[in-house]
Formats: sequence, structure tokens, C-alpha cells
Amino acid sequence: MSIQIRDLTYVYSENLPYETVALDHINMEIRDHSFNGIIGHTGSGKSTLIQHLNGLLKPKSGQIIVDGIDITGSDVKLREIRKMIGLVFQYPEYQLFEETVQKDVAFGPLNLGLSQENVEARVREALTLVGLDFSELADRSPFELSGGQKRRVAIAGVIAMKPKVLVLDEPTAGLDPRSHRDILQLIRNVHEQEKNTIVLVSHNMGDIAALSDQVFVMEKGKLILSGTPREVFANTALLKGIGLGLPPAAELMEQVRQRCADAPRDVLTVEEAEQQIVRWFGKDKKC
Amino acid sequence: MNQGFSAPEAPDEIIRIEHMTYEYKREGDQAAYVAVNDVSLSIERGSFVAIIGRNGSGKSTLAKCINALLLPASGKVYVNGWDTTDEARLWQIRQTAGMVFQNPDNQLVSSIVEDDVAFGPENLGIDPPEIRRRVDRSLSAVNMFEERTKAPHLLSGGQKQRIAIAGVVAMKPECIIFDEPTAMLDPNGRAEVMKIIERLNREGITILLITHFMDEAVRADRVVIMDDGRIAMDGTPEMIFAHSDELRRLDMTVPFTVDLADRLRRNDIPVPQSTIHIQEMVDFLCQYKSEI
Repeated sequence: MSIQIRDLTYVYSENLPYETVALDHINMEIRDHSFNGIIGHTGSGKSTLIQHLNGLLKPKSGQIIVDGIDITGSDVKLREIRKMIGLVFQYPEYQLFEETVQKDVAFGPLNLGLSQENVEARVREALTLVGLDFSELADRSPFELSGGQKRRVAIAGVIAMKPKVLVLDEPTAGLDPRSHRDILQLIRNVHEQEKNTIVLVSHNMGDIAALSDQVFVMEKGKLILSGTPREVFANTALLKGIGLGLPPAAELMEQVRQRCADAPRDVLTVEEAEQQIVRWFGKDKKC
Repeated sequence: MNQGFSAPEAPDEIIRIEHMTYEYKREGDQAAYVAVNDVSLSIERGSFVAIIGRNGSGKSTLAKCINALLLPASGKVYVNGWDTTDEARLWQIRQTAGMVFQNPDNQLVSSIVEDDVAFGPENLGIDPPEIRRRVDRSLSAVNMFEERTKAPHLLSGGQKQRIAIAGVVAMKPECIIFDEPTAMLDPNGRAEVMKIIERLNREGITILLITHFMDEAVRADRVVIMDDGRIAMDGTPEMIFAHSDELRRLDMTVPFTVDLADRLRRNDIPVPQSTIHIQEMVDFLCQYKSEI
């Protein structure tokens, strides 16, 4: 499902002393089935933007067109929008509330008005997709689980609604390295299996570079840069200027290049760094 | 690796943990769950120690036992020689070993930055002029003096976290325990907070940093890895990160530089084992290029 954002503007505390233009004429094109990364530091407007995507906030002006329908229109039913676009907030495990894992994951689908059997099938499927064992966990309290498990349950609750666009706001914040990897892998799996569109907000430039087809950079309410990871992370000075930095591999090669001008460029991941350095040193020749 | 060293008496230790065990009662069935299992650890005054390990490995429980938020089920924890179970010393212990948590929003109590920083010293009954001095100095130490009359909720996460740090610094602690202080921050906020932590350490404050970020752990002078309630590895970052297979077994990632160094070595590029910082890798690559 594609999304076109046109001239989207949002103002917090309008006409009050702390009036802030949180989104300033944003234009964005999110393609069907694509994996999109949004970066920008705290207060740049990322979260405000994604809250518009499923109608939690209404813009001051501009449009968000999802599959040809302008969801900012007053006649659009919120339930219809939320069926299409699922939002996983930061620290989503804080929003778990049911007595059992099964009931918690079922909450969204039930509210979509699905039949009981249908809901159960979706709960099973969603829990399996996030890598949890249905038979083991279904009747447990979500509050007894580990941090990583709680977060998976919370994500399953959104996946169970089968959104065509899945928006995740910093889904790996605060997780240990293993859970971090697992959550990214499950997002990849969901993306492949459900053939949905992903919008991932993250502060981890390495993850964004490795996963995204398209990267959008927000700064002070404006969309200042977009393109493939390679195009975006080539703008070293700009990204550093706004305090975002580069993926570690790009940062390393950038520093090497300042001393040896012929060092490889266009390096985003550790695999690419390895290949390029080996070639640079002439170690790739077959004897 | 150094496991359970309890015998040698370090002359200048600020924290000493002896065979400490801590158990939680699980909600529901009340089954006992051992979070920290017979851990012994000595922290040298003025050092910078990073504690890493997966979620549930006992890091935070260990930290909370150090400033007497939790008391061990068995074994002993000493801060400056005071037993943490000695109630008469409770406030001295907490003043000596301050704590900064993950979420700045849960640590700020006032509607004005400088009031927030004054909260701790006020509770100690310190004279107002001295409080003023401490507040100003603490805010300067975290580069937040200019923001002293602002409302905390209007600041960024990194700024709020620095105010939480200033609140602890104003208590004049000898040691600060940071429990994932950068987990909720953006890259800028993380860099700011890490800079402050390193500065406080240079000024003589002992630092315990619990983190999931390996690039933060490499900046410490000692890294302790917890696994399943025990200490799995303990050593300098150079020692720890040279064992990348062991780290992977413990579900830790290796820092980017170490990962790349491993890969290059497999391609017959002789990266020294001690290469853990990005700067060292840059130096090596440029040096090596000039020699071939």
C-alpha cells in the first residue's frame, strides 16, 4: 500500500507562547511493499509525523493519501484507517493490559469486528510470527514475561490486525543485543511474509542502512533529505551537522579517507567495509 | 577470566561485594528466582567499570544492591566499608553511591531545572548558600547552566538526562551507578551523556555503567559481563573484546571495530588484537596502506 504525504503541516500549541511548527510542509512518497527508515533527532518531528499516519493527529494543512484515499478528510472512519495502518509505539510493552497474552493480542482484531475463530487464528499466527510459542504463552500473564518477550507480545497485537502498513517507532530501544537482533529479524520476516509496507523510526544508523530501501531525514519539522541509504549517508557533513552521524562502517571509512584520499567510499555495512578494504589492500587477488 | 575473586584485598576499593545472592519471588506462583548468584566483585576507587549482559542477567539487581535499594539475601555488599544492611549508614551509602536510571522522566521531580537539582541537597539539610553553589557547579558540570530556570518538560531527552545526572552530582557522590542512561536517547543525546560520564570519571568519580551498547563499554577501563546471575567475564576492554566467540556465546554483540578486525584478519590483514576503538582501526589502516 502506498502513501503520499502532501504539504503536511502541523502546529503544536497554536497561538500560545510555546507555539511550535512540528511539521513544516512535508512531502513524502512511501511506495507499496517498501521498507522505509525515518531518522532525525528527538524533537525533529518523526513521532508527530507517524501519529498523523493513522489519524491520531489531524494536520493543520496538507493531505495524507493512502491507497488513493485522503485520510485527513473529516468523513474518513478512523477504524478503516487503523485497519490499514498499524502503529507500534515506543516501549509498546507499557501498553499491555490484559490478563493473558492471548487476550492482549486479540484485543485489536476483536475491535475490528472479526469473528471469534478468525481472531483466534490471527492471534496464533501473530504470536508465531514474532517468534513466541502460542501453546506455552497464550494463557500466561504478559506481565510475567521478560522485557524482550513483552515487546514481542505488544508487536503481535498490532500485527494481528494485519495492517498493510506497519509503522514502528524505535522498536529496539532499551533491548539487549540479542533481543535487538531478534526484533529486527522479526520485522524483516513480517515484511516478507505479509508483503506489507514498513516504516521504521530508529536512532540506529547501522540498522537503518542495513534494512531500508528508502531513508527519510527529518530536522526541525522539515524533511531535509531522502533517498536510498547510499544516497542519504553520502551526505556526511549534513548528517553530522544535525548531530545524527553515520553508520559505524561509513564513519570509519570517512575518517580513513581524511588521511588517505584513495580509501574506499560508499561503504555502509561491515560486510562492505571488509570487501572494500581487502580490495583496497590488493588482498583479493587469487594466487 | 577472573571468576569470583574474593581473596585479594584491593587497597583502595570503594565497593566490595562478597558472595552476594539475591532472589526475587515470582509473581503468581511465588517461585524463587535467583537474579544474582554468589557474586563477588571489588570496584577500585576512581575506576570506570562497564557492566554488560543480556536482559535478566542480574546487572540492574546488582546495581540496586550497591546503593541499598535492594538488600542481598546472602553475602555482603560494602560501600566505603559500610555494610549496606546497616540502616544507620543508609543515607551515607546512598550519598556515596548515587544512581541514574534509564528514563529521565521518572527521575525529575520539579517544574524548574535548578529546583530539581537542589532537591537532593535540600533533603540532606545543607545550608542554602552551599546548595546554591552545588546546584550551579553541578549544572555547569553537565553543560546545563544556561537552562537552569527552564521547565524540564520543555527540554530534550538528553538534556533531561543530564539534569538527572546533575541532581546526583549535587549530592557529591564518590561513585555514580548509571543504569542504561542512554537507552532512550538519540545519537546526540547519547554522545552528550557519554561525554559527561567520562568527564566525571576524570574528575575522580568512580563510574559503574550498565549498558547494552558495546561502543560505550569499550570506553570503560574495565568490563564485567554478567550472565545468568553470575560474572561470566571480567577484564579490560582489550581483553574482553578479543574473545569474540565467547561474547557471541553470551549473546553479546562485538563492537563494530572488533567485528571488522576479525574479518580483516581472516583475509590475512594483520590487525593487532588490541584494536577496539575506531581511531585505532583508522590508524592501523592508514599505516598498513602506506607499507604495502
